Amino acid sequence: MSDPPHFAPLGDSALTIRFGRGIDPRLNARVTAAAYGIRELALPGVLDVVPAYDSLAVFFDPLALDPRLLEERLRGAIGQGNSAAPGVGTGRTHLVPVRYDGPDLEWVAAQVGLSRDEVIRRHAEPTYQVYFLGFVPGFGYLGPLDPSLVLPRRSEPRRRVPPGSVAIAGAQTGIYPLETPGGWHLLGRTDLVLFDAQREPPSLFAPGDHVHFVPVAS
Amino acid sequence: MITVIKAPPFATVQDLGRSGHRSVAVPPAGALDRRAIQIGNLLVGNETGAAAVEWAIGAGEIRFDCRTTVALTGASADVELAGRVALPHAALNVVPGDTLRVNRLVQGSWLYICVAGGIEVPPVLGSRSTYLPGSFGGVAGRTLRAGDRLPIGTPARPRLAGAGESERAGEITDWGTPHSAAPLAVLAGPDRRFLPDAEWARFLDTEFRVSNAVNRSGYRLHGPAFHPDAPADLPSVPTCAGAIQIPVDGNPIVLMPDGPTVGGYPIVAVIISTEIGRLAQRRPGEGVRFHQVELAAARDALRRDAAALERLARASS
Repeated sequence: MSDPPHFAPLGDSALTIRFGRGIDPRLNARVTAAAYGIRELALPGVLDVVPAYDSLAVFFDPLALDPRLLEERLRGAIGQGNSAAPGVGTGRTHLVPVRYDGPDLEWVAAQVGLSRDEVIRRHAEPTYQVYFLGFVPGFGYLGPLDPSLVLPRRSEPRRRVPPGSVAIAGAQTGIYPLETPGGWHLLGRTDLVLFDAQREPPSLFAPGDHVHFVPVAS
Repeated sequence: MITVIKAPPFATVQDLGRSGHRSVAVPPAGALDRRAIQIGNLLVGNETGAAAVEWAIGAGEIRFDCRTTVALTGASADVELAGRVALPHAALNVVPGDTLRVNRLVQGSWLYICVAGGIEVPPVLGSRSTYLPGSFGGVAGRTLRAGDRLPIGTPARPRLAGAGESERAGEITDWGTPHSAAPLAVLAGPDRRFLPDAEWARFLDTEFRVSNAVNRSGYRLHGPAFHPDAPADLPSVPTCAGAIQIPVDGNPIVLMPDGPTVGGYPIVAVIISTEIGRLAQRRPGEGVRFHQVELAAARDALRRDAAALERLARASS
């Protein structure tokens, strides 16, 4: 049984709703479902709904909406089970071709005591859940990672990670959409364009999508 | 058309930012001092949300290639228009060939150059605002460079013209002194509970200094350290502009409109919307204090600002 959601103002133009605590696929599915449910209500004055791991934020026009009334409305909607069915959302599963020739593959294999091929197999085996997007446009936090591949992030982040890099850190994996600094371990690369502001929709991934990595020849 | 003759080290095209894309990690971007850009736009007859040039500390020069009207708001600056001192908070007429030269910003960090019709770069995801980390919006997603040519649109309304309008704008908006050092109003943040009451009182009693680490994504403050009693594995949560995060080193970071949409540090307080621009205008080394208000006061401030803009819009038409 899950806790009742906890509401707190995030400044004067947003409300945070926390559904529990932690990084957990089922808890996150509840958050994602609630986010899509709230979006579908299309409440006038609501500008954006932003899910994270165990919480979401509803951004609104403070001149158009009283946050107390919004909270009441959202409590009702969430209580009525608009968010009951986990896994709703776009329902898409993305197949992501990956060349597993990343600069950290050997190091990761040595750290976890597996062969390179076994690291690749275990990384490409699961169907990952897009918990949410953050960090930079189009960056999805995907999980859960096979427990045998869990490693802390690099102590010194790289100053430049090339776009399309497929990486792991903690119990998560992700793909760098842009060239950015980054502290995750780079296993390989994909040619898919994760984010393009001129494309509709701009982001390949949306919260609640699923992702499957497909090893391809380097 | 406007031509950039000499770009300052940092200037971008901004409007009031984009909305609805945070769930794919696209932050709003937009003017750091929202009040200033809105006043400037109204003075030249634009809608409040027209795009303008947001100009940081530093000298530079632009040339107008058409007859139009321009207004300078935000930072107080030493500016010459066609060789004469350019007054702030006023609609100034320009003719083709006139140059606007910013010699320096005297007080504040961000000057807005608002032009009748607005800067008509193509909107991206519903806004003309430059978002530098994503390299989109504004002029090719980057800062302005010498030689850039900025298209200008058609103004929404006839402009305000005539003598004395600077004073009038100041009177109407009561915004003659945007650079006051008065404490900034904050609401308790979603993670306020991780600071014991005595620490919260100390936070509100502290004079911080703006550090050198300031940009459109965030302002890092210096002062005595604070260490919220938050669990180390606290999952990341949605953030917003004005959010005051406390990272591990204990020095607060205030998120700005280009800041990340989700963050992992505890958010102990959030600056109210109407006062984020006041922090943005503070310079490195200047002091910052916070005082706590309730949500009702934040909403009153929003309504007061909206009403003042409404009065200015009526007076300018």
